[in-house]
Amino acid sequence: MNDLTELDEPIEIAQTMRDEIRRVSNATRARRLMVSRVMTTLCAVTLAVTAVPLALLLYQLIKRGAPELTWTFFTKVPETPSLIAPNATGGLSNAILGSIALNVYASILAIPIGVLVGVYLAESMNKFAATLRVIAQTMAGAPSILMGLFAFSFLLQDLHIGFSAIAGSFALAVLMLPVIIIATEIAVLNVPNTLREAGLALGAKPHKVSMRVVIPSALTGIVTGCILAISRAIGETAPVLLVIGGGYLNTWKPLSPVSALPLSIYENAKSEWPSQRAQVWGAALLLVIFVFILSLTARIWASRKQKVSN
Amino acid sequence: MAEFSSATTSRSWYHYLLLTACVLFGAVSVGFVGSIIQKSLPTWLHHSTTLIGGGGWQSPSGPFGGLAMIVGTLETSLIALVIAVVIGLGTAISIVFFIPRRLRNIVATFVELLAAVPSIVYGLWGFLVLAPFMYSTIDPWLNSWPFAREIWGDPSQQYGPSLFLAAIVLGVMILPTFVAISREVISVVPDDLIEASLSLGATRWQVIRKVVLPTARIGLFGATFLALARATGETVAVALIAGGVAKVQWHMLNPGTSIASWIATEFGEAQGNEVSALMALGVLLMLLSFSLSLVSRWLVSRQRKLLARV
Amino acid sequence: MSEAQVTKSPTVVVRDPGHTAMQLHDVAVSFNGRVAVRDATFDVAKNRVTSLIGPSGSGKTTLLRALNRLHDLTPGAKVSGRIVLEGTDIYRGDMTVTELRTRVGMVFQRPNPFPTMSIYDNVVSGLRFNGIKKKSLLDEAAETSLRSAALWDSVESRLKVAASNLSGGEQQRLCIARALAMDPEVLLMDEPTSALDPIATLKIEELMTTLKERVTIVIVTHNMQQAARISDDCAFLLMGEDRAGELIEFDTTEKIFNNPNDSRTLDYTLGRFG
Repeated sequence: MNDLTELDEPIEIAQTMRDEIRRVSNATRARRLMVSRVMTTLCAVTLAVTAVPLALLLYQLIKRGAPELTWTFFTKVPETPSLIAPNATGGLSNAILGSIALNVYASILAIPIGVLVGVYLAESMNKFAATLRVIAQTMAGAPSILMGLFAFSFLLQDLHIGFSAIAGSFALAVLMLPVIIIATEIAVLNVPNTLREAGLALGAKPHKVSMRVVIPSALTGIVTGCILAISRAIGETAPVLLVIGGGYLNTWKPLSPVSALPLSIYENAKSEWPSQRAQVWGAALLLVIFVFILSLTARIWASRKQKVSN
Repeated sequence: MAEFSSATTSRSWYHYLLLTACVLFGAVSVGFVGSIIQKSLPTWLHHSTTLIGGGGWQSPSGPFGGLAMIVGTLETSLIALVIAVVIGLGTAISIVFFIPRRLRNIVATFVELLAAVPSIVYGLWGFLVLAPFMYSTIDPWLNSWPFAREIWGDPSQQYGPSLFLAAIVLGVMILPTFVAISREVISVVPDDLIEASLSLGATRWQVIRKVVLPTARIGLFGATFLALARATGETVAVALIAGGVAKVQWHMLNPGTSIASWIATEFGEAQGNEVSALMALGVLLMLLSFSLSLVSRWLVSRQRKLLARV
Repeated sequence: MSEAQVTKSPTVVVRDPGHTAMQLHDVAVSFNGRVAVRDATFDVAKNRVTSLIGPSGSGKTTLLRALNRLHDLTPGAKVSGRIVLEGTDIYRGDMTVTELRTRVGMVFQRPNPFPTMSIYDNVVSGLRFNGIKKKSLLDEAAETSLRSAALWDSVESRLKVAASNLSGGEQQRLCIARALAMDPEVLLMDEPTSALDPIATLKIEELMTTLKERVTIVIVTHNMQQAARISDDCAFLLMGEDRAGELIEFDTTEKIFNNPNDSRTLDYTLGRFG
């Protein structure tokens, strides 16, 4: 008898519990499904809200920019429109050349140092490496105008270099460095340890393994990081704004003042001449094309890497 | 993992090469911080209260008060962040869960490309397209609201560019960045967690709200801080569309300015004390950026500890 | 008996409906037109453990997931035939999918407690999803189901600790408790011990034999000994010529392992392939 009641009780409790659970679940189901429907619909609405301004931006960029990309745009230096010739804007060859020069110099400055630091961070576990890692991560989030201030203060004020391509490249290189360092570290860390161990087991010295095995395996990741760093640098206005000086000449000499595409957009958008304001859409479109090509190259490169390693 | 500081390898030339690069990078980062601080010292030593005060900015003699820029930076970037996070989160959720698989990769690629579009292009669009549109259409409508004068400000001061417009354009600008990262961290939430919650009778929204978003929260924090960092440091887009008026502005349709954009617009004409004051503004911006990065690192590591062994 | 061997058609064991938890009739699952499993016709008996066995690719997991409509998530997935729970067709009846899932719970291959929730929150997560807020009911359900999962004694003092602090076996028992808290009629288990060590596996097997007093269990396993040890009924599936899994035989476990109708079943249970 005693045994029976002890057995019965928990089952009875379970039965009332199940009833209560089912009751509340059924009573609230319609409301819960309604909330779910409303919220998921709202999410879909936000997708549309995101798409509209961005689509509008791209549409206007192409519609206004494409007609500006003429032969003159790529080959002539700028002219100042006048009342007699209000449409005489010339081209922006100086800015295109300047942008290319700035980024080539910046890459030469930043890529070797960035890759070496990234490799060091990935393969060392000391305090020095940890500190550098935090610095790189912090610098990666620093506003780009600060790179311009640094270049101005150090190169122009302290070293008296003057407005020049090299000063702008220096600012861009400081901007690119943390991006390259972080990408390289991740790429090297992603190299399977078995590869390293295989090299070491064959009797190779650690630095030989690093150079001959690890870095080649991480190369696609490193290259992807460098391309992304360049694609960020090429569109930056603020760092070069303070130090490259601008100018109407076609030049790529490191020590002469140059112009750059983003800088021309910034300056000419405020122009009183409608023809010059129209021309900047061409520059903006060209810049976006540059950036898209670089980003897509990086993506394709990265996916090729995955295919190879699978 | 190969440890380069081990005794057998510490003398190889390769090790020294890596170390040299690291020392160079360390020097650059120390120089970056030190050089800007050094040039700002005169202002900090003699006019520090003026700099963080609201006395306005009188070129070229002074006083140089930075309160307007600080307030403007906070106003624009916080409103932009709210816009980007609210819309971006819904967008990222929609991309991962609601749109067809085939379309998903295309949309994801597209969002990542948009995240790479240079800020000057967003600025140009805001300045030449949105500002006139705001002035002709949106501003009169907003000014017809009750208490419009208290919220939006005096219509006679408005001409298109405003803190509000800057906030909107910043929001649209950081939206792709936020969506790209959020989409990625949401899509790596393991499927079996989603299936487990569905198997307990959760609705779609409950799965997202109670399981997916909490599980992805570290990455979502990261995305939020990155977006905020981009918004606070943005220079040229704000310089074009905030209006460039150095006045503490609580009425959002009136023109204002931000720290970074004020440095960019004033630097060209600045001499002597003003350069130092602008460098001091740069130090403020640096402090803001570094503390953001510190807070995000702290939050992320705290969350990691909570989620340890997942 | 000999007829069944000749016709190759699966044996249908028909029971009194009062003793049946779920009925499967000619169930097939396909993905984008490609059939993954078909010809599944059998009854899941109440308060018994039914195991689905067969080599990999035979569609056992696919079939199991059809029982609480998890294929609804997969674009291109189609389930045909009839699956009946207590008189209601779960695909075509008037039962919402969320209601179905409160009545048919699931435990997965890998222990998957919600990483951001405490042990307590994990156990009551299903109740909370279903709108239950009453603290006393949540507490009671948490204790009852943790006891049923033989986990109460070891976690009673640390209910607010993150679930990730538990060992793999404990995590899996937590997932069982989480499913039990909803007090489902049927509990689906998809190779619940495949990620666990032998001792944790043994504990879960012991658990299942006591749990069937309370809940009907359907388990997918690739472990023959496990199926023989714990299940009462057994469905044997095999990949056919066209790479689609099909039900070969359904019967009591004893019959499947000792005296099956189909020679392929015998070959498989004796370990001749698979």
